[in-house]
Amino acid sequence: MTDVASRRDAGERPAPPERVVTLTVNGRSYALRMDTRVTLLDALRDRLGLVGTKKGCDQGACGACTVHLDGRRVLACLTLAAQAEGRAITTIEGISGTDGPHPVQQAFMEHDGFQCGFCTPGQIMSAVALMAEGRAGSDEEIREFMSGNLCRCGAYPNIVAAIREAATRGGHDARL
Amino acid sequence: MSTVESRPRIGAGVNRVDGPRKVTGTAPYPMDFSVPGQAYGALVQSTVAAGRIVRMHTEAAEGAPGVITVITHENAPKVGTGPVTVLGASPPPPLRDDRVVHHGQHIAFVVAETPEQATAAARLVRADYEATEPLLDLQDPRAEQLVDPWGTDTSRGDSAAALESAEVTLRATYTTADNTNNPLGLFATLAAWEGETLTVHDTSQWPSMVRTCLAMVFGIPESSVRVLVPYVGGGFGAGLRAWPHVILTAMAARMIKRPVKLVLTRPQMFTSVGHRPSGVQWLSVGATRDGELVALDHRSLSSLSMEDNDYEPFAWASSFAYRCPNVTTQDRQARLNVAVPTSMRAPAEAQGNFALESALDELAHSLRMDPLELRLRNHTDVDPRNGLPWSGKALLECYEVGARRFGWSDRNPEPRSMRDGNWLVGYGMASALFPYFAQPCAAQATVNRDGSALVRSAATDIGTGTYTVMAQLAAEELGLSLDLVRFDLGDSDMPNAMMAGGSGLTGALGNAVHDACRRLVRSFAELACGDADSPLLGFSPDDVECTDGKVHPVGRPHLGESYADILARHGLSELTANGNSTPPVATELGMSLAGAYGAKFVEVRVDADLGLLRVARVVSVIDGGRILNEKTARSQIIGGTVGGIGMALFEDTVTDPRTGRIANGTFADYLVAVNADVPEMDVVFVGEPDRGTATGTKGVGEVGLVGIAPAIANAVYHATGKRLRELPITLDALL
Ligand code: FES
Ligand code: FES
Repeated sequence: MTDVASRRDAGERPAPPERVVTLTVNGRSYALRMDTRVTLLDALRDRLGLVGTKKGCDQGACGACTVHLDGRRVLACLTLAAQAEGRAITTIEGISGTDGPHPVQQAFMEHDGFQCGFCTPGQIMSAVALMAEGRAGSDEEIREFMSGNLCRCGAYPNIVAAIREAATRGGHDARL
Repeated sequence: MSTVESRPRIGAGVNRVDGPRKVTGTAPYPMDFSVPGQAYGALVQSTVAAGRIVRMHTEAAEGAPGVITVITHENAPKVGTGPVTVLGASPPPPLRDDRVVHHGQHIAFVVAETPEQATAAARLVRADYEATEPLLDLQDPRAEQLVDPWGTDTSRGDSAAALESAEVTLRATYTTADNTNNPLGLFATLAAWEGETLTVHDTSQWPSMVRTCLAMVFGIPESSVRVLVPYVGGGFGAGLRAWPHVILTAMAARMIKRPVKLVLTRPQMFTSVGHRPSGVQWLSVGATRDGELVALDHRSLSSLSMEDNDYEPFAWASSFAYRCPNVTTQDRQARLNVAVPTSMRAPAEAQGNFALESALDELAHSLRMDPLELRLRNHTDVDPRNGLPWSGKALLECYEVGARRFGWSDRNPEPRSMRDGNWLVGYGMASALFPYFAQPCAAQATVNRDGSALVRSAATDIGTGTYTVMAQLAAEELGLSLDLVRFDLGDSDMPNAMMAGGSGLTGALGNAVHDACRRLVRSFAELACGDADSPLLGFSPDDVECTDGKVHPVGRPHLGESYADILARHGLSELTANGNSTPPVATELGMSLAGAYGAKFVEVRVDADLGLLRVARVVSVIDGGRILNEKTARSQIIGGTVGGIGMALFEDTVTDPRTGRIANGTFADYLVAVNADVPEMDVVFVGEPDRGTATGTKGVGEVGLVGIAPAIANAVYHATGKRLRELPITLDALL
C-alpha cells in the first residue's frame, strides 16, 4: 500500500470541477455540491440515498435506471445531474399515493411481474409513462414500448399482463 | 416417507410476500447498502490474455484526487484459498503473482474517496506485460484436456457394436456458444472490518459458502465473518462462487481500515462472475426402423479457464433420459485463456439436451416418424442406469397434455409445408429434464408469545420465491395463516443453507423447514400433553396436529389451544426448534431421485425472404412434483423459457480469437431476449408430489429453460427444411 494522502493534499493535481446543483426530486428540493461528472443516477443513489432507482449497466442499455423528468421517461445513467436542474424528477419512491400503491405497482404484484425485482422500479416507471403517453393500447404496443427495459429474469409476459390490466382499469387508453 | 398426501398438489398462487418492497424500490440489493466512512473500489483488468506482468505503473493513479491506495500483486498481502465445494475448488484468490491467464483478469484495485475518483484513477494504472500467445480455440491441440473431470462418464452395453449393426444411424455435431449469465443486478460487495471481524454485503446465491471462503482466505474463524444478502438482483449461477473481486474488496478494507464498496461494471460482469461455457458435442444414434433406440454415443468438449473448475457434464444426462441398452457418454474440458466459466441456469443440461433433442428430431425425420412418437417409444419409467423406478416421472402426461394444448396433431409433418402469407410456419418439440440435486440444509423455526412464527435459514431468494414459498410451507406445517409467518434469509449467521442453485434449494430447504416445524409442533405437544391445565392432557404428543392456529389431537380441533396460550401458561416468550435435511439416497429409498421433467412445444415463424425468425407460441408442460406456489412456479418456467429463447436466438459472448478480449461485453452488444421477443406462453404443471422427499417438490428453476432451444431449432427445421446445429440461430443462417 502506498500512502498518497500527503501528495494529494499538496494539490499536485487540479481538483475536479465541482458546483452546486439543485435537484427537485419527488417534490422536494436538494442542493448538492458535487463533481460535474456525476450522473443523475449516481446523484439519486449515492448523494440522496434514493436507491430504489437501479443501475444495471450505466450505459443506457437496460432501462433499470428509468425515472421521469417532467413526466417523461429518461435513463438516469445517461443524464447528468446538472442537466436535471430545474426540472421535476420523479423516482420509484415518488410513485405511490398516500393511500397505497400506484395501480401499476399493484398490478405488478398481482401478476407476478417480477422475480428478482431488480428491473422492477425501471419497469414500473416506464409503464406509468407508457400509459400516460397512450401507448398501452394493445399487448403488441406494450411489448414494443417496454422493450427498452430488460428483465433478465424473463418476467415479460407477466409485465405485459400487469400493464394491460393497469391500463384497462386506469382508463388511460380508450382502445382497451 | 412422504407426508404430503393431505397437502394440495399445487399450492395457492399467493402474491410474493416481498412484492411490496420490490415494487416500491425499498428492497435493498447489495449495491444499495452504504456504511459511514466507506471508500470505493475500482478494478483494473489485464489487457492481454496470457503472459506475465513485468511492471505495474501505479504512480499516476496514486497521485490522482481522492485516491487512498492502489493494490497490485506487488503489495497485496498473501491470503489463503477458499474451500473445495460440490462445484469444485474455489476460484484462485486475486493478485497472487505476476501471471496473467485471461483477458480481463483483475491486476489492480484502486480505492478512493468517491466512485468517480476510483474509476478515473483506475484508468491511469498501466501494466507492462510479457505477453505470450493465448490458447483460445476449443479444439487447439495444445490445450490441456481434462478427461472425465467429474467422474460422470458412463457406459452400458456396447454402443460401438450396436451402432455398427443398427438399422438406422445418425451422426451429427452440435455447437453451443459462450453465454453470459448477466443478471440485471450488477454484482456488488461492501466489506467492513471491526478488528478481526468482517461483515460483507455481497451478491451471492450462497452466503454460507462465502462466509467459509472469506474465513479461510483471511485466516479467521467462520464465526468472525458475516455475509448479508437479503435481496439478489438475479444470479442464474453467477452468484455461486466467492469471486476474486469479493476477496479484493475485503482485502482493501482490511488494508485501509475502512469499509470499501465495489460495484462491478456491466463489462466486468462478462469476465468476473462466470459464464456458460461454449462447447462441441458429437452424437451418434442407432435405432431400429420403427424408432427404437439401440445405441447412443454422446461426447462433449467444452471450454474451461486455466486455473478453475466448472461442473458441466453436457452428455451425462443422456445416460438416463431414454430407454436404450447401449449408451456411452463422455465429457471433456479444454483449458483455455478465458475468464472462468461457471454454472448458468440449467448448466450442462441446456447444452446437452440441445444436442440430444435435436438429434432425436433428425432421427424422427429420417424415419418419417412423428418426433413425439419417437420419444414415446423410447420413454422409460425406470432409471436405465440401475433399474430402479423413478421417484416421480410424469413425462408421458407432459407429452399428452402439451400436444393437446398446442395442437400438435394439426401439424403437417412435411418440412416447409405450412405457411401464413410470407411466414413459413414450423412446429417443434423437445423433451426436458433437470436432474435431481440437493445438499444438506438447515432451518430454525420459532413461535413467539404473540402467536406469530419466524423461520430462518441462510438461504437466498434470487427471484425464485424462497421468501414466499418457505413462509407458505411453514404456515402450513404450523397451522398458521400466512400473515402470521415470516421467513428470514440472506444472513450467514442463520442456520446453514445450500446454494440457490441446481434447482435444489426449494426441496432441500423445504425439507429442513418441514423438519424444524414438525419438531417445533412436537415441543408444543409435549408441553401441552403433560399439562394438567391443557385440553391436550393425556393425549400422546405423537397424535397432535396444528390447524387454524390451534394445537390439537388429530382430527379433534375442538380440543385444541393456541401456541400463545401454551407459551403464556409456561411463562415462555417463545419456543424454537432446529430442522435439517440431507439428500435422500436412491438405494435406501429403492427409487432413483427423479428431478423435474417437461415437454416443450414451440411454433416459430420465419420470413421466407428475409430470414427473420420469431417465436410465436410456447407451451410448457412441467412435472415439478408438488408445486408450493403456482404463481411463482409459473414465473420460474416463464423466466426459464425466456432464457431458452435467448440461448436459441441471441446469446453469444464473442471472444476475439487473437487477443482473448470479449468483443461484445455490454448490454448494447450482447443480445438478450427483450419484451418484444417473447410471446404469450402456456405453462401447465402436471404430475404428483415426488415420492423421494418429505415435501414432494422437485425444483423448477432450471427445467423451464431446458428444451426450449432444441424445440426452436426443430421448429425452424420444420418451417424451413434447414437443420441448424449451432446456437445461437441467427438470421444469416436462415437466408
Ligand atoms: S443503468 Fe441506465 S440504462 Fe442501464
Ligand atoms: S425481475 Fe429480475 S431482472 Fe426483472
